[in-house]
Amino acid sequence: MRGPYRGLQDEGPYRGQQDEGPYRRQQDHFPVRDRDPNLPLRNLPLSMQEKRKTRDRRQQQRLSIGCWESWWQSQRIARRRLREQVVRTMCGLQPWRKALHTIEGKFGVGVKAYFTFLRFLLYLNLIHCLVISGLALTPVLLYGKHNFTPGKTPASDLFLLTGFMDRSPVFYGFYSPVPLKVSCLRCCLSSPLLFLLAIASLLTLSIIMVVRRTVIGYKHTWMLGRRYNHHFSYKVFCGWDFCTQVPESAVLQHSLIRNDIKLVLEEERFHQHVSQRTFRQWVQLYFLRGVLNFLVIVLLSASFYLIYFANLFSQRKKPKLSLLVEYLPPITITMVNFLLPHLFRRISGFEDYSLTVQVNITLVRSIILKLACLAIFLYSLLHQPRIRSAQCWENQFGKEMYKLVVFDFLVCCLNAVLVEWPRKLLVERYPSSSFLRALGKPTFLVPFNVLDLVYSQTVTWVGLFYCPMLAHISLLKLLFVFYIKKFVLFRCCEPAQKMFRGSQSSVWFHFTLLLGLLLTVVVLGINANTYPPSSDCGPFADNRTLFNITENCVRILPDFAQKALRFFISEAFALLLIFVEIVFLTSFVSQGRANRRAIEGLKDILVMCSADKRFLVKKHSACLRTLKTSLSEGNGEDARRMEAVDPSEIQPPFTRSTSAPCGDVAFQQGGVAFLTGAKPL
Amino acid sequence: MGNKQTIFTDEQLDAYQDCTFFTRKEILRLHGRYHELAPHLVPMDYTHDPDVKLPSALIVNMPELKENPFRSRIVESFSEDGEGNLSFNDFVDMFSVLSEMAPRELKAIYAFKIYDFNTDNFICKEDLEKTLNKLTREELTPEEVNLVCEKAIEEADLDGDSKLSFADFENMISRAPDFLSTFHIRI
Repeated sequence: MRGPYRGLQDEGPYRGQQDEGPYRRQQDHFPVRDRDPNLPLRNLPLSMQEKRKTRDRRQQQRLSIGCWESWWQSQRIARRRLREQVVRTMCGLQPWRKALHTIEGKFGVGVKAYFTFLRFLLYLNLIHCLVISGLALTPVLLYGKHNFTPGKTPASDLFLLTGFMDRSPVFYGFYSPVPLKVSCLRCCLSSPLLFLLAIASLLTLSIIMVVRRTVIGYKHTWMLGRRYNHHFSYKVFCGWDFCTQVPESAVLQHSLIRNDIKLVLEEERFHQHVSQRTFRQWVQLYFLRGVLNFLVIVLLSASFYLIYFANLFSQRKKPKLSLLVEYLPPITITMVNFLLPHLFRRISGFEDYSLTVQVNITLVRSIILKLACLAIFLYSLLHQPRIRSAQCWENQFGKEMYKLVVFDFLVCCLNAVLVEWPRKLLVERYPSSSFLRALGKPTFLVPFNVLDLVYSQTVTWVGLFYCPMLAHISLLKLLFVFYIKKFVLFRCCEPAQKMFRGSQSSVWFHFTLLLGLLLTVVVLGINANTYPPSSDCGPFADNRTLFNITENCVRILPDFAQKALRFFISEAFALLLIFVEIVFLTSFVSQGRANRRAIEGLKDILVMCSADKRFLVKKHSACLRTLKTSLSEGNGEDARRMEAVDPSEIQPPFTRSTSAPCGDVAFQQGGVAFLTGAKPL
Repeated sequence: MGNKQTIFTDEQLDAYQDCTFFTRKEILRLHGRYHELAPHLVPMDYTHDPDVKLPSALIVNMPELKENPFRSRIVESFSEDGEGNLSFNDFVDMFSVLSEMAPRELKAIYAFKIYDFNTDNFICKEDLEKTLNKLTREELTPEEVNLVCEKAIEEADLDGDSKLSFADFENMISRAPDFLSTFHIRI
């Protein structure tokens, strides 16, 4: 695809040999691809006049190639323009573009990545809403008999989830199976099947979208970055954001770049320091790290037990209780998730790791904390007698998930109003107090905020089956969270001085989301397999199970389709699939290894070629110099000059007559490889 | 467009639309910006291709370029004479290459030109030192600057001549994840 480089003359300082002249545009020095008639004009690295000339030339060519060809080309151009226009309008339609641009300018790329992630979750929840409303909600609303009337209800119903909320479409119990008055496929298409289809398709879609984003990000940032290790060159050449217009953000950028570079230099120094540790120091360090890791495990287990106990406590009391005890599990989970990551941050400071490793370790511990807390809570919930023995256990389960989501939102609001805003006010009001100065204004900690988002999205996914309108609630919540966080960012926070690029890359955000999604799938799978659905509420009432529904549907398909389906879910097919995947994986891995070897070989060849080129250039210029001097001083002195010079470089394999000037022979020989005659170098 | 504009002929606008990444409206807006930099120098009627060049001092004070540490190099790279005097064609060209829609290869070519301070078609250590000093406003110590430049050349130099040719630069920049997002100016 790339044009060939144009020989020796284009490659750099040919000192004294080339007329530098007035500074010209890059036509001669870069591989110009105007030979390729399909390359759009605007992609050519030429000045405007030259592009116009090329355009005229192409139009001339077009006139001479016949009407069919010219029509086809003009159609292609029109299609390309239309495509670009569409892409442009689609990009312009994305919400909050201007806000994100301002955030990036004022606070850096990491904070912008958080808000982009939030917007992605918003799109995801929007799709969930649409699918659930279309497939699950509409049939039951249209064809079902229900006694859902809000009427006069106390506000506590909204939080305690009794009364009208129990029978509302928010929870599983609303979706009783209704006969669909649709004539086609009426045996197959029942509302339970639609419900199941909605949830299954949403989960599959989420998996596909999140995996796709993770893989794309991984390809771009991690793999290439790590393999090619281009830290400093990226910082120098891609460090400055050319969009910066405001002087304050320019100052911020300068300091960020400086701190970034100092950070990397410090890491280098740290690596040197590590390599100089004595054996005794290593032993001490490992002992300390072992103790601290043990402390972390103790903290984690304590928090798990606390959550389990809180759950037990709230379930054991009679259901008609105050708000506090009902919401005790979410309160505990949130407090644990709030306090422990900061503790982990302090602990990792003592373990004597480099700064980026410290941040990564804290993050890993926090992820384990959040997801494991949720898992423990779900496990304890499913083994509660109150849940098990309730009339509609799915509703109870859905209610707990609803409580988690609502409480998470409340905490977000309260945090902004009661913690961040007062902190900022206090720091501004009393600048002399040393405690407040040490505390400082709040900064926007991207990793912890992202973990909060992932946690709430995981809860939404887990609860989706049992509380289908959780997607709508989550959508509204994300909208509010965007504006609240924006308020906190602009009014309370100051920009962080140190940026840890790795922990703010979106690859990591999507990977943790994937972990949450896997947790969801595991929980739902276990639920579906071990606990039979309630017999009198929800789409699977009347002693149906998930499998019954699908069985009925499969039975009406034609014979061969049934046989094919049964084959696809049998073990033989699974084994076959695994085998084929192994074959593909092996071929890709070996291909990758071969490519890596080829790359190393080519790099060595490149170095050798460049060294050869430099050598030849030197010889050539020395040769020409001697030619000039010998021509100016006349031929007679040639021979004396030749013998006087001491050949310090390669001896020529063949000699020549002394009367001919040196350069002549070399050019006559055709190759520049062996320059004859003895030359000073 | 409601009213017929008289700044450019239709044919000229078509040519601009083909040769840059801008639409007709944006090109007219760019002309407005160019005009307001020097209203007495820049004519409103461009139908006859007047040969007007604005000096670099006017261009580098535009709000889009004012805070950029490389503004003088950017303007010099797009000028015909290498001094920074831009005609309207060069002006449009500059913002077209620096717009969001320009492809990576095109931006890499111009980025190389911008960072090549001594215009010898190589980014040598002195060029890198100047770049780094402009980036950090000379707040790093000379040893740190030296170390960073050496490491940067070591990382990107493929052919072992301790300076970066265009091939080395393009190879390195094609892998940079945020090159496209940082190397653009919105106008």
